[in-house]
Amino acid sequence: MVRRIGLYSRVIAWLKILLPLAALVLLSTLFLLSRSTEQVLDMPFAEALRGEGIAREHVGAPYYAGTTESGDMLTMTATSAAPEGEGQIRAEDLAARLRKPDGSEILLNAAHATVRDSDQTALMEGGVRIESSSGYVLNTQTLNSAINRIEAESGGPVQGDGPLGTIEAGKMRIETSDEDGGVQLLFTEGVKLVYTPKD
Amino acid sequence: QGTDVKFGSLKQDTSAPVEVTADALAVNQNAGTALYTGNVVIIQGDMRLAAPRVLVVYSEAQGRIERMEATGGVTLVSGEEAAEAERADYDIEGGTVVMSGNVLLTQGQNALTSEKMVVNLESGAAQMSGRVKTILQPEKGQ
Repeated sequence: MVRRIGLYSRVIAWLKILLPLAALVLLSTLFLLSRSTEQVLDMPFAEALRGEGIAREHVGAPYYAGTTESGDMLTMTATSAAPEGEGQIRAEDLAARLRKPDGSEILLNAAHATVRDSDQTALMEGGVRIESSSGYVLNTQTLNSAINRIEAESGGPVQGDGPLGTIEAGKMRIETSDEDGGVQLLFTEGVKLVYTPKD
Repeated sequence: QGTDVKFGSLKQDTSAPVEVTADALAVNQNAGTALYTGNVVIIQGDMRLAAPRVLVVYSEAQGRIERMEATGGVTLVSGEEAAEAERADYDIEGGTVVMSGNVLLTQGQNALTSEKMVVNLESGAAQMSGRVKTILQPEKGQ
């Protein structure tokens, strides 16, 4: 009897189509139906780096030295200095030393200062301490000092000690006196000084 | 010839603190001087010395004032005594005030004028010299 028309070969022919299709379906479930993995976006970002420390360029422990025409030596150091645009530099904890050829000097310390290149001045704020080699120790709130010559003016009242005793004044100016070129301190707007005689 | 006058109430402790108030002060560090200008008032104990201009000469080394030169019309007031002159030199350490230039000293009712007067702050004595003139007011009601 004639074998029935190749049942076996017909099944194999169908299997040759069905089996690859099944494989395809299985393979696609791997990608299309996979679980949603969590977002990559909220990765923890280091808070410290987000601060402004990184955002602007600044100089650590800057040191500036210069000599004026009349031979006074000026040196300035600070903990940090950062440019603030149009030729302005903001320095923290500024320490300036104005030294005259004859050796007398004036030390200025300020919490922070804005050094302006345009008119060569440094505006010191946040409490300024002025010390002179002749024994004056004065404190004031703000002081505007030139950096290419010895000239400074306090923004408000100043008080402190000197060889003459404790002193308070409404305003103070430091400049070089024209006759002998020495450093002159001018206290104005009311001066009060208490001197205790030494026996 | 000189006249000794009791400047009674001027006797005082010359080591009391000296307070100086003025409109302006110019300190010249090299010269070691400080120039007070603009109604300067120097107060020590109950003595007050007022002048438009006072130059203070100090020695930086020992940090003490050597002398004060008040010029431009000086008035010295102490207790009820008052003295006026063109100029006064006040030596704190020595405790003396030397007033010169038509000195006028008023003590209560009496007034004395002279060219020069040296006041010793410790003893309270004033020594006037140079054309001393005394104007004594007779006591009223005698």
